[in-house]
Amino acid sequence: MTRREAAVAPRESATGAIYDLGYRGYDGPRLGRRAAFVTLFWASLRAAFGLGRSGRSKVVPWGLSAIMIVPAAVAGAIQALAPGGLSPFNYDNYLWDLQAILALFVAAQAPELVSSDQRNRVLSLYFSHALARSDYALAKFGAMAAALFFLALAPLLVIFFASILVSTDVPAAIGDQLGNLPQIVGSPLVYAIPLAALGMAIASFTPRRAYATGAIIAVFLVSAAVGGILAEAGRGRLSLVAPLINPFVLLDGTRDWLLGASIPDSPVSRADLAEPVFGALTAVLTVIGIAAVLWRYRRIAA
Amino acid sequence: MPLISTQSLTKRYGSSVTALDALTLEVQPGIIGLVGANGAGKSTLLKILLGLLKPTSGSATVMEMDVATRGPEIRQYVGYLPEHDCLPPDVSATDFVSHMGRMAGLPPAAARERTAEVLRHVGLYEERYRPIGGYSTGMKQRVKLAQAIVHDPKLLLLDEPTNGLDPAGRDEMLDLVHRTGTEFGIATVVASHLLGEIERVCTFLLAIDAGKLLQSAPIASFVERTGTLGVEVEDGADALAARLVAAGLTARADGRSVLVDCPDERPYDIVRDVIDEMGLSLTRLEQRRHRLEDLFRAEGRTDDAA
Repeated sequence: MTRREAAVAPRESATGAIYDLGYRGYDGPRLGRRAAFVTLFWASLRAAFGLGRSGRSKVVPWGLSAIMIVPAAVAGAIQALAPGGLSPFNYDNYLWDLQAILALFVAAQAPELVSSDQRNRVLSLYFSHALARSDYALAKFGAMAAALFFLALAPLLVIFFASILVSTDVPAAIGDQLGNLPQIVGSPLVYAIPLAALGMAIASFTPRRAYATGAIIAVFLVSAAVGGILAEAGRGRLSLVAPLINPFVLLDGTRDWLLGASIPDSPVSRADLAEPVFGALTAVLTVIGIAAVLWRYRRIAA
Repeated sequence: MPLISTQSLTKRYGSSVTALDALTLEVQPGIIGLVGANGAGKSTLLKILLGLLKPTSGSATVMEMDVATRGPEIRQYVGYLPEHDCLPPDVSATDFVSHMGRMAGLPPAAARERTAEVLRHVGLYEERYRPIGGYSTGMKQRVKLAQAIVHDPKLLLLDEPTNGLDPAGRDEMLDLVHRTGTEFGIATVVASHLLGEIERVCTFLLAIDAGKLLQSAPIASFVERTGTLGVEVEDGADALAARLVAAGLTARADGRSVLVDCPDERPYDIVRDVIDEMGLSLTRLEQRRHRLEDLFRAEGRTDDAA
């Protein structure tokens, strides 16, 4: 073949023959669409934590991850120092108590995953490869959901190991704690998937990172405020639906419904609503969010 | 096997803008120059061939695969260099090109190896580990070319590859394009509004204007037809033009210059002899650079003659 020959043919120059090996053909396998999807998913997951990027891009995700873990670690340490003391945290209330950190992570990192490709017009390159537009959208959404899952899972694992280590009877404690595995894995899933859908739906609509971050924070703040005001001041029907306005209340309600343990004195336990209502609304929110991301990437010019 | 063929390909944006107007063409492999003014439909055509845009009507095939139905398959074997910026500033060239190689289906090890090779091929060395944001325009264009060839495409679509480059950078980029196309046998389409560039690197010319095919011919035949000799004299350009016309040439005065059509080499001798006979002071004798306008003028004349 001419290309193979060209690759090793000497190029004449003043100093003699130079063997130019700078470019050669490629005859190996071409992995296609699925491999591209998996690659994009992993690359985006790494990007969500600033891995392989400059130090500056690591500050926010690592800082928030640290803040997410610290309370669980401190509580564990106190239990170790003062045996018998009761930790304020458990698998049920931890993510609810630290919901602000999850919200900030979505607000900061969802735009990180999608805004840059739009602003720098890298999408033209992605879409000129085997990857379909829906593949891109789903890989990015999946990466965000996975990042949130790990962020939420880490402190629950800290509680898990701390509980085992501080107990006097370690084998029994391991047995006890393994029974909590559905909560340890389930709660992060219940939080991660809908939050990623919501965050990506908002972030994918603007190439401006600051706007996206602002919009996501605004949605969380406004919905929490409106929900709170309605619950306090509203009467009758209005205060009945108040808990459904704040996405985090929806998530806690869904967790409560699926994994069965309500947090005392939380909006969900105070609400006069059947638990499946929270689950159904969370599912609707998630589906709408993912549909919005898919719709956006089907329409976007590349 | 035709490399690219289109049948009455039409693309309208909204109801008023027609980017491609029933374009029908067929080209064989080679280095193909796609020339046209800004807005002639060059980028639109490339994007349709890639499947980035859907045509309003008509059809197109690339390597005998229909763009409407086999887009993903086509894209595996096509490299694309967009006209606009398309590089993330916070990633190094190595990481970016390797990532794009993986997107194109290369296994991880092959992607790394080929990234090193193509970056060396385009002339990026130590700087390839630094974030792209700090690169000059010339270096960015090289990265764009590198990501387009990292997966060893069978067809390379380059949209204004010399965009924003200084003259030296243009020469280097054109040389790279020429080498990539000829030595490695990758069929290449170079879209440009500068005919001079097309002429230097391409073997075949497609000229489009307002979405219509203006010309489709090997570059050699085209150059012959519009070759123009510029003769600049100190005084008496008009008289010279008259004498040259009398000698049977097509010539016209243009300020201090006389423009002589050169379909072959005969006019050179005549011009030399006439200037000598008239005793004029010759200040400049040059092969005029072909510009897009020449092409359109030449086309117009052919139409008149027909």
